[in-house]
Amino acid sequence: MLQKTDKSAIGFVIAALVFFFIGGLLTTVVPPLVDKSWSKPFENTDPSKGPTGKLRPYTDVELKGRAIYVREGCWYCHTQQTRTLLADTKRSGWKGVDSPVSTPDEFVYDSPHMFGTKRTGPDLSRVGGKYDRQWHRTHFRNPRDLVPGSVMPPFPWIANNDDDFNALVAYIQTLGRAKDWRPDHDYEK
Amino acid sequence: MSGVQVTRATPIGAVPLAESIHEDTTAKWFLLSSVAYFFVVGIIALTIAAKFVWPQLLGTVPYLSYGRLRPLHVNGMLFGWLLPADLGLAYYIVPRLCGVKLWSEKLGIATAALWNVIVLGAVYALPAGYNKGWEYAELPMPLVALVVVAWVMFGINIFATVATRKYQQMYVSLWYTMATILWTTFVYSTGNIAVLFTTGTNQANLNWMYVHNAVGLIFTPIGLAMAYYFIPKTSNTPLYSHKLSMIGFWSLAFVYVWTGAHHMLHGPISQWLQTIAIAFSVMLLIPVWTVVYNFFATMKGQWHQLRDNVPLKFLMSGVVFYLLTCFQGPMHSLRSVNAIVSKTDWIPGHAHMAVLGCFSFFAIAGCYYVIPRMFRTQLHSEALANWTFWFFMVGGLGFFVTLWLGGFWQGWQWNNPSIPFIDTVVALKPVWTVRFFSGVLMFLGIATFLFNILATVVGRGQAVASPKPVAAVTA
Repeated sequence: MLQKTDKSAIGFVIAALVFFFIGGLLTTVVPPLVDKSWSKPFENTDPSKGPTGKLRPYTDVELKGRAIYVREGCWYCHTQQTRTLLADTKRSGWKGVDSPVSTPDEFVYDSPHMFGTKRTGPDLSRVGGKYDRQWHRTHFRNPRDLVPGSVMPPFPWIANNDDDFNALVAYIQTLGRAKDWRPDHDYEK
Repeated sequence: MSGVQVTRATPIGAVPLAESIHEDTTAKWFLLSSVAYFFVVGIIALTIAAKFVWPQLLGTVPYLSYGRLRPLHVNGMLFGWLLPADLGLAYYIVPRLCGVKLWSEKLGIATAALWNVIVLGAVYALPAGYNKGWEYAELPMPLVALVVVAWVMFGINIFATVATRKYQQMYVSLWYTMATILWTTFVYSTGNIAVLFTTGTNQANLNWMYVHNAVGLIFTPIGLAMAYYFIPKTSNTPLYSHKLSMIGFWSLAFVYVWTGAHHMLHGPISQWLQTIAIAFSVMLLIPVWTVVYNFFATMKGQWHQLRDNVPLKFLMSGVVFYLLTCFQGPMHSLRSVNAIVSKTDWIPGHAHMAVLGCFSFFAIAGCYYVIPRMFRTQLHSEALANWTFWFFMVGGLGFFVTLWLGGFWQGWQWNNPSIPFIDTVVALKPVWTVRFFSGVLMFLGIATFLFNILATVVGRGQAVASPKPVAAVTA
């Protein structure tokens, strides 16, 4: 059949679209219908099933901070996913406690998603509550003052603008917090 | 194979009758503007490479910070240089393969003008911080709407030309060009419009479907359309096998679209979907190896031409880079390999080999081949073209190889959690320094390319008046 498509343009168009749509529909439309955890917000009250907690929608201030995160392209260098790799759970961990892996139900309110593809800086999926406001202010002004050897750009126009800075920190402090994963609950505000 | 007629060298200045029907105004506009953007965006590319070596560079200017220039680099290279260059070449080869004039030169010129509006809009919007937050789909919605309009205009012109063709049998380059038009419509809409109605993992899945297929179902088919046309043309040799080209095409059509989820391996997305993406990623070896074998077999007995045929040098090196990229791709998607290389600097090494080493090499070869012919003249300098090739080759290899080695090393370090993260950053600094200087070489390649093309166009009258020896030029 396909041998005829190099003479008939209409036959060609139909075949090219059919071939494309088989995989296209099965990998984009079908998966969210099959796996409900993609759209159901995380909620767990049973400690025997892992960290407890509840995913809540972002507040207006957090959304404003998120928009700054998107605008400045933070996501080109920072991923937001603790993968199912031992090293990831250790690196996202804190004070000797391993972080839980990221699951789809923690990201239901994220748009645009910020999973990222490149890790020039560390992963931020569990950074919420690790550093306080003053640390972030110094770090945004010049990252090398706190982390010698860092290649992160300075962001003085954020550090010096209280509204923008507070919104961005408010967003950062939400990251990974749906799961209450630290035994001491010692999160910075 | 009535489409590609292998003709012997024609005397300079004399236009063959079959050629004289083509106006090529659209192709000229697309090609010249894309070559100019290649140069401009090359400056951006060098700037962001420099920021890895000197992180304070331009650090206090929001418009020039890394996070705003990187999308300009990526979108500029993909949609300012490579895609319009391929469109320009399509406006050149499709009428010739159909044996008729382009359906509407006016519509084509309007498309070229609109495309320039889109690129200039992006050059403003991205540094200004209008970024939607999806990779490859950063452009603001008004520009997305213009891209859709321009794409429909391109599609109408090409399909109408095909519909009025003189030769019934369609050469493989025509299939790939038509398929690009069809698939891009849906791939682009998925990544730019469907994502608006989703969130989280569901949205990421659509985003990766787009990102992966922007390369796999936009740049690959339009790039292969060019390779299938220009390899036989520049070497004056018929294509080895029509049947192999069909197997390559239809397996690509079926397999590529399944693989988007391999960007999220080990990540927060269903395991079974990851497994499907891995299986189909490995199957990609089928279309790739059939296509590459077809090109190598075409060159059998013709390899000596690589000595002094610059477009052919670009084309066959591009084929080798295609083979390598598309061997890496399936291997990265294996879970064990992915655990090391994913998210590291290996990935930009891989991505640049596909988009620069393969598809940009094809487009550069196409420009060097068609621009002198469209302007009825000779290339300004074959020697300079040879310099272009070696700047790109040495710079490109320096870039790819150091990032692979560095990225692999980085991945091993990440997998040892006793190494603090910042130490893995400091360890990469020599790699980023080599990457910057490789970038300088590639930029010299762009600069000589731009100069050679402009000198060819500007000096076209003189070349006809005093013909140079044409031993190295194949028509």
